[in-house]
Amino acid sequence: MTFAVQMTPADLWALLPELLLSGLLCLILTLDIIKLQGNKRLLAHLSNLGLLVILAVIAQMAVSGVDRHLFGTMFVVDRLALFFKAFVIISTIMIIAISVDYTETLPAFRGEYYVLVLFSALGMLFMVSANDLLTMFITLEFSTFGFYILVAYQRRDPASSEAGLKLFILGAFTASLIAFGISLIYGETGTLLFDQIARRSHGLTPGLVIGFLLVLAGLGFKIGAAPFHSWIPDTYQGAPTPVTAFLSIAPKGAAFAVLLRFLLSTFGADKVHWIGLLVLLSMLSMTYGNLVAIAQGNIKRLLAYSGIAQIGNILIGLAAASKTGSDAILFYLLTYLFANLGAFAVIIAVSQQTSGDLIDDYKGLNRRSPMLAATMLIFLLSLAGVPPLAGFIGKLYLFVAAAQEKLFALVIVGLVNVVISLYYYMVVVKKIYVNEPVDSTPLSVPPLMKTVIMGSAAAVLILGIYPRPFLALVTAATQIFAGVNAASLP
Amino acid sequence: MTSHLISLILFAPFIGAGLLMFISNRQRTLVRAVAVASTAISFVLSFYLLYAYNYQTGGLQFTEQYVWSKELGISFYLGVDGISVPLVLASSILVFCGVFVSWHIGDRLKEFYMFLLILASATMGVYVSLDLFFLYFFYEMSVIPMYLLLAIWGSHTKGYLEMTDTAKRDSIGFLFNFAKNSKEYAAMKLTLFLSAGAVVALLGILLIYTTSGLHTFSIPELAEHGHIPANLRTLIWLLIFFGFASIAPIWPLHSWSPVGHAAAPAAVSMLHAGVLMKLGHFSIIRVAYEILPETTRTWVVVAAILCVFSIVYGGLVAYFQRDTKYVIGYSSSSHMGYIFLGMAALNVISLTGAILYMFAHALATGMLFAMAGFIYDQTHTRDIPSLGGLSRKMPFIMGAFIIALAASVGLPATVNFIGELMIVIGSWPVYPVQTVIALLGIALTMGYLMRMFRGLFFGELSSSSAHAHDASPFVDRLPLVIMMACSLYFGFFPSQFIHVISSGVEPLVAKIQGVAEVVSLPPSGSPPGSPPGHPQENPQGIP
Repeated sequence: MTFAVQMTPADLWALLPELLLSGLLCLILTLDIIKLQGNKRLLAHLSNLGLLVILAVIAQMAVSGVDRHLFGTMFVVDRLALFFKAFVIISTIMIIAISVDYTETLPAFRGEYYVLVLFSALGMLFMVSANDLLTMFITLEFSTFGFYILVAYQRRDPASSEAGLKLFILGAFTASLIAFGISLIYGETGTLLFDQIARRSHGLTPGLVIGFLLVLAGLGFKIGAAPFHSWIPDTYQGAPTPVTAFLSIAPKGAAFAVLLRFLLSTFGADKVHWIGLLVLLSMLSMTYGNLVAIAQGNIKRLLAYSGIAQIGNILIGLAAASKTGSDAILFYLLTYLFANLGAFAVIIAVSQQTSGDLIDDYKGLNRRSPMLAATMLIFLLSLAGVPPLAGFIGKLYLFVAAAQEKLFALVIVGLVNVVISLYYYMVVVKKIYVNEPVDSTPLSVPPLMKTVIMGSAAAVLILGIYPRPFLALVTAATQIFAGVNAASLP
Repeated sequence: MTSHLISLILFAPFIGAGLLMFISNRQRTLVRAVAVASTAISFVLSFYLLYAYNYQTGGLQFTEQYVWSKELGISFYLGVDGISVPLVLASSILVFCGVFVSWHIGDRLKEFYMFLLILASATMGVYVSLDLFFLYFFYEMSVIPMYLLLAIWGSHTKGYLEMTDTAKRDSIGFLFNFAKNSKEYAAMKLTLFLSAGAVVALLGILLIYTTSGLHTFSIPELAEHGHIPANLRTLIWLLIFFGFASIAPIWPLHSWSPVGHAAAPAAVSMLHAGVLMKLGHFSIIRVAYEILPETTRTWVVVAAILCVFSIVYGGLVAYFQRDTKYVIGYSSSSHMGYIFLGMAALNVISLTGAILYMFAHALATGMLFAMAGFIYDQTHTRDIPSLGGLSRKMPFIMGAFIIALAASVGLPATVNFIGELMIVIGSWPVYPVQTVIALLGIALTMGYLMRMFRGLFFGELSSSSAHAHDASPFVDRLPLVIMMACSLYFGFFPSQFIHVISSGVEPLVAKIQGVAEVVSLPPSGSPPGSPPGHPQENPQGIP
């Protein structure tokens, strides 16, 4: 394997989003140091401005149809990568917007907060383009690195420190699993590149199988699928809420980009062997997440367990292992982005004035702030998959993909879980709308937060009622998996 | 030609709900005006629809089709046939009346009307959808507003309020609660039951979609060209049947329904018993009957067996209830059995009767629930033994109650009579035992309704109703007058209705029974009053 890497100016253009984000990162860091007593809100607005420019660049690249392999084939910029880059950037913009008022409550280091968020986002931008095992490993760790600090950001709060430690120890453990798996795959195939592993001449050897399983388990930790979910509840509960929101969506999306390439492009020909495994992971995640969520009294823990179940839902699409399945994953991630981030935004807005994250703190929210109550209703029902909201189309798409591949057992478990999840979401809805508030002072919502919440609610409704352009976008992004079904034919 | 009549009927309440979002709760007059205006549009246009529908041509009319997603083969496909026209009309009558019935709600009136309008639109959406996806979409959409309407504006049962042990009150059991339930319990039970039924049906829909090989959700297309593998047909039929029958509700799946009726505010009980439960029958006809006609012929006997339990069980339980809304609720689930009987007999008379009865029952039960709600508002109790002597306080309500009672029992001059008669005549040759039981069920209905009538209006005036007064001249009387008028008008002049319904039923029955059997039907098989030489519909796609 030779590393004769040549860079052309065109390659640099393909790297533009990453380069711009690196520049933005340095700028924010410098400004933070220079403006010692300055207004930290400016940093947030500046970050978002920069991110919007990067989003425009990504959109321009998607329109012009960039499809390049860089550094050999280690780094790929195709429509799938661009879709996920946009996904990461949009979620980062929303996170920064909802963090602005939250960071005022932090004791110190308010500037670094934005730097770390951008740092993780940069890692994820690289990650969604990873096309070989080594890039995958490095970018995974790169993006997790920022989170180790962000999760433990409230260092005087023991829960936050515990959350950070938990994430760090399990993250390090996961990294070792993945590294070991990569070494085994490399030993068996003699290559790290996804395309070359896919074209390998010999079949499945025991070493390759173990390596595959280890990498899959490692990625399972990253997305928090049961039985690799143990870090999720405590980390979600302890971390500062905007960080929880970020952690619950952007790394999951990026990890699914890697999983799609790893499973469908690299091991697509062997899918008969791993489909059963993914069906099991999916069923376990959905059932475990939903059942345990019922018993939760803390809204962040509830969303943590519901997040495990949502990951189980997305795994249905991966288990379908088809073009339709990957379409469904991408679309579902979009719906999940807005519904989940919106729900966390409402949680932040409520907790800033009630300083509580218990579900009981949501009693009578409808009387205190009809806007927050109505949007929370929309977000929770979208997560539950009720029409006419986005989550319904997403779930239906996943079920259609699974039914087309004749995975009826998975569809049945998924449908049963829809009903289970409806229960605990409705319990929250009941507290919001039916119960009387303990303290009925009206809640005020800062304007930027309001924009994010209303924007997410609008997105959830639009995705549910008029999904046509988004479905077209998604199906175009997954063209590279069109051959998966054909390849698996005997 | 594309007509937007159906979209107008469907979206008028939706737009009303959208407008309400921007109105403050303090502007009560404006809130009411928007609710009345948006439902009035649907109300007037559905009457127009009934008379504009051309029963000579029959088939699907007023269709509108817009591609919604090519990737999944979904189109927003609306249209009505003879079966859906009366149900659209029933929905729009009931929601229009429901707006007036809930006129005096004090707490969060705007939100109440918003959810009520969404509920009504979603219900109508099911009746006019010709695409499986949208049928399910609207079906599932109707469940959530129900939850909120019940849980916020509903009422607890007397048994629950009398429980003094607060620990026990909060931990009310899920399966066995013996009429001691809170409104939240009722709402949650309803939501979970209906969603569970819905996902069972969704599994059937997904099976149809993936095995038909057409890559479409369009019902007419699936009905005409779909080739469902023979080994899956029974499974799919049963999934669809029991999935949708849970909202109907057929006997073993009924337990959510009386509880839900009882807890709901009056307008919601009206819509719920009047049109929401018929979503089940309608969806079974639309999906199972249209797409799987052969399987229907074999398996519809399930409905014929279970309907007996519905009729007898519902009737007997209703007889021993002490709560007004429970009596009407159980009576509704008992009456749903007649519709299943009419559907099971699979001939033109019985099926036409079943659909006419759906409309008739909507009006009768709507009146009863509206009055039960009015009495509850006046006296704050639904317990029959603690009520009495209301005839002196509310003579108008008593008069209306007599008509509602007559309609519910199915006395001549009401449209219920014609529906019941057609069901009985149509089912007699096919299921004589069930028909006899159904007739006994009518006597039972008479029994429990008379008992409730006596308990409410005669005897000593109870202290709880000392301050009760009669229905106010306009707002309270209008909904009752509208429903009474419709019930009597269509009871005297049912011919337009029967033509329209049978124009939808005839091709369907022909398709299920095969051409030969339709021809061999006795001449009395054509509905009364149908013009001689009324063209038999061209049966589509029958072997």
